[in-house]
Amino acid sequence: MMTRDLLALGPMLITAGGAVVLLLALAVCRSHAFASAWSVLVLAAALAAIPMTWPGAPASGDLLNLLAIDSWALAFWGIIFGSALVVCLLGFEYFRPLAVQAEEFYVLVLLSATGAAVLAAADHFATVFLGLELLSVSLFALAAYRRDQAISIEAGIKYLVLAGTSSALLLFGLALLYFHTASLRLSGLAGPLLAGHPDTIALYAGIALVLVAMGFKLGLAPMHVWTPDVYQGSPAPVSALVGSVSKAGAMAFMVRLAGVTLTGTPGVRNGVFYGLLVLAIASMFTGNLLALRQPNIKRLLAYSSIAHMGYCLLAVLPMAAGAALDRQAVFYYMLAHAVSILGAFGCVCAASENGREAQHVEDYRGLAWRRPVLAGVFSLMLLSLAGIPLTAGFLGKFYVLASGVRNALWLPAVCLVINSGIGLFYYLRVLGTLYQREEAESPDQFATSTAPSALLQPSPQLLLTHLTLAALVVLLIYFGLMPALASLPM
Amino acid sequence: MIPEALILVPLLTGLACLLAKASPRAVRTLAMQGTLATLALAVLLWLVHMKWLAIDPLTARSLLELNLPWIPALGVSLHLAPNGLSVLMVLLTALLGVLSVAVSWRGITQRVGFFHFNLLLILAGILGVFQAMDLFAFYFFWEVMLVPMYFLIDVWGHENRHYAAIKFFLFTQVSGLLMLLAILALYFLHGRSSGAYTFDVARLVDTPLPSPVAFGLLLGFFAAFAVKLPAVPLHTWLADAHTEAPTAGSVILAGLMLKTGAYGMLQFLWLLFPLAALDFAPAARVLGVVGILYGAMLSFAQFDLKRLVAYTSVSHMGFVLLGIFTPNELAWQGAVMQMLCHGLGTGGLFILVGYLSDRLHTRDMRAMGGLWASCPRMGGAAMFLAMAALGLPGMGSFVGEILILIGVFHVSPVLAIVASGGLVLATVYALWMMQQVFHGREKVRAADLRRTELGVLAVLIVLLIYLGVYPKNVFDTFNSTIKHSRTFNSLMQQSQIEDP
Amino acid sequence: MNIPAGHVMIVAAVLLATGLFGVIVRRNIVLVLMSLEIMLNAAALAFVAGGSARGADGQVMFLLILTLAAAEVSVGLALVLQLYRRFKTLDVSAAASMKG
Repeated sequence: MMTRDLLALGPMLITAGGAVVLLLALAVCRSHAFASAWSVLVLAAALAAIPMTWPGAPASGDLLNLLAIDSWALAFWGIIFGSALVVCLLGFEYFRPLAVQAEEFYVLVLLSATGAAVLAAADHFATVFLGLELLSVSLFALAAYRRDQAISIEAGIKYLVLAGTSSALLLFGLALLYFHTASLRLSGLAGPLLAGHPDTIALYAGIALVLVAMGFKLGLAPMHVWTPDVYQGSPAPVSALVGSVSKAGAMAFMVRLAGVTLTGTPGVRNGVFYGLLVLAIASMFTGNLLALRQPNIKRLLAYSSIAHMGYCLLAVLPMAAGAALDRQAVFYYMLAHAVSILGAFGCVCAASENGREAQHVEDYRGLAWRRPVLAGVFSLMLLSLAGIPLTAGFLGKFYVLASGVRNALWLPAVCLVINSGIGLFYYLRVLGTLYQREEAESPDQFATSTAPSALLQPSPQLLLTHLTLAALVVLLIYFGLMPALASLPM
Repeated sequence: MIPEALILVPLLTGLACLLAKASPRAVRTLAMQGTLATLALAVLLWLVHMKWLAIDPLTARSLLELNLPWIPALGVSLHLAPNGLSVLMVLLTALLGVLSVAVSWRGITQRVGFFHFNLLLILAGILGVFQAMDLFAFYFFWEVMLVPMYFLIDVWGHENRHYAAIKFFLFTQVSGLLMLLAILALYFLHGRSSGAYTFDVARLVDTPLPSPVAFGLLLGFFAAFAVKLPAVPLHTWLADAHTEAPTAGSVILAGLMLKTGAYGMLQFLWLLFPLAALDFAPAARVLGVVGILYGAMLSFAQFDLKRLVAYTSVSHMGFVLLGIFTPNELAWQGAVMQMLCHGLGTGGLFILVGYLSDRLHTRDMRAMGGLWASCPRMGGAAMFLAMAALGLPGMGSFVGEILILIGVFHVSPVLAIVASGGLVLATVYALWMMQQVFHGREKVRAADLRRTELGVLAVLIVLLIYLGVYPKNVFDTFNSTIKHSRTFNSLMQQSQIEDP
Repeated sequence: MNIPAGHVMIVAAVLLATGLFGVIVRRNIVLVLMSLEIMLNAAALAFVAGGSARGADGQVMFLLILTLAAAEVSVGLALVLQLYRRFKTLDVSAAASMKG
């Protein structure tokens, strides 16, 4: 291994090493503040290392049999490490009032981020599996982290069973592909696929199983059943992690997979294309329709993220052409989604008190008049999820639609439009609840409640959460106005 | 210089209203100052456009145009370049902005800062729509104004506000996305044929489009504009939104938001897809006539005063639709005139209804009657506005409607005759409303208009009369657009070839 | 005796199906974990079979799978303990409160 390789691996080595050091340090002394500060520091360092590594390692060397550290992977590492950083920041004040020991939370966050990063850069079946397992195992430990609550354990168990099943299916699919192509490398698939090996049932079954497994990870319908339960049962920062880090890693891999398979023989190409098309449209409708009457805000966000992954697949479909524009669209969409979903769960964290999460939409009734700043932030996040201009979500949707229109994918594009309409119903329902006025309120009460001096000062217990949310709002608006990151070469 | 100031002034004033630690009164004053400054800028814009442009085109252009690269990778620029049509609409926006702050002075007592923030944000968005010459920026502003409007209806509206707000948002958003699809398709088609990817309208004009494609794209744009206008099958959001919105919201909805639809058709449809629009025009004209008659009949069937006024909008905007899709100068001039007069007249009626329901706490006409005795000033103002609604000669709306009808007569005499039936129906509903509310047995008494309230209505009435007797200013301003419009000239030539 | 790789793949597929069936129908969480383990081992077997004619790659994957499966199951067993402490049962249907 050469220095060059080490440098390319830098960000990932930092998080992996950071996790190990933290684990050892916790054996000596347990301190919540230290664990949280350390993990923030580690993730910030990893983020800072990404530009130094840019634009990735040259396409040769031993390392690159296992990992493809190209600009695509590095860009997604940015999303992954950034999201994990936000989760650590949100976690500090979330766990502080709780009776559970919170230190290992940070270890697990670092590990899951590392796993997602491996998955995003995976080019070898071994690393695909390694990344996926690292991610899944830390996530189901995290989902069950609030041992004081039954639903948290339930979420952990459900995620364990479903993630375990999907890993096994993925592995079996990979084994079938290996059986067919005699290559363990993802990019090695392309040659045999193109060179007209006769298509076998092993090939089709292999690709189908891998797609199903990734569908599980992304929460695509009809493999979405675990999503709402895990989002609801996990502690809010973990739900944010599932929505951002895990989805980003899986989507990065999905695009690599689609890029290889969609350039294959006509049989494979059509199979994968129509398979993804069905998944995309089914996810859009399932997610949005199930969210319509959902009274639990965390489940609602889960269903919304199912639909969002469906939208994003619209830009994965034309991956055969391999145009940079489509990859950029996927990247920007995932970036925007990560910021919005982190912000939304951040608001759930901020609205929760003393370990009781504000899960019900009703908990937010009239929030705008009690905590206007928080309600404003939450509104922005919801509007971003709905794809309204001024927010990152709009540009994400714009890029995805542009990709669809450019490749004349009218059916899914029109489905996206219809579903944006359906989605508005429930985003606006929540938004309306936030701003519901209490009828009994007298005018002078109102006069005190709008005096912003009291409201602009966040309560000292949630200072860090509020600062994090403020940073997310800045990012949300910035990404909504200046999509400079969308023009990265990919 | 001026265009961006027109957007920034209301935007920044709005933010200041939201964040200021000030009394409600100070917030109102601040908002009033902001809208007045916007109005001053709008007048300046008009003066520069009319006077300076001819004398010193270079300096004037630099004042009138802004072209900043925004997303260079996609060829998106923040291109604001108001032409004659835009200038007229900007003037209307700025004026109604001032008036809507004025009418909210007493009516809005809760969350004053947030209210004015939303109000001014809508104004900024609408001013952006009226000036953008880049389709991405146009769509951006088009969507950005929906959210504050949603809040305006949902927070300060009447009983059924949640339903109305969601319906409004849904209709406009989904149709807007169809327009976005069309914009994107046009963008890629242009990029592929010319190699230059851009959203700039002036350059997209040259895109060679096979006629079925052009027709499809036209429909995408038309869907968005027709919902806002509203054209008949898509009008159902309007009555709910107008009825449930607070007075200022109704004024902005009727006076300005509906105009964005008409503006889009007149500004972009003919420019981008002249031939497809020519094919589509007969169908659109029929939609317009259906709107005129159907809107008038619905409005006659209402007991809710605000709903009645809302449905008159459908009828009046039907005239606008009819005029826009009649490709001759008379009809277009008429359509622009009708847009302005509908903004002023219907805005005035909504303000009046707002004053009335503040006093009576009901909008049901069956509970009203004989109000003239107790409030003659209000009755007088209502009489003027009703006359404007029914298109009495001497009022601007008369000029607009008659020009549209003459223009349509050249193209399709039958439609013109049917459409003029709308004038009769307008007389029926306007007089019926007057009769129900102000005449007859005295059922209720109310305090008459205060001086400031009368002042607000007087501004509108004076302008309506001014436009009715001296419409030249409007014609000249819009003419400056028509005469330079390549599309229009080529259309004129075509219709002349077909004429004999 | 020379067994064709295809036959081994069929055995692996049957094992996978058995495991999947177990995951779906079993209520006892320990048996569910065991079924998961069967599925992972089916995949591992498939790798060995797939690589039988082409060097050691498949067997390396087998080792990797073995290790990671152990990690997964150990965390899974920790969850089983939690489940038992909280619900005093190993029946997964006890933990099915979330719906909607």
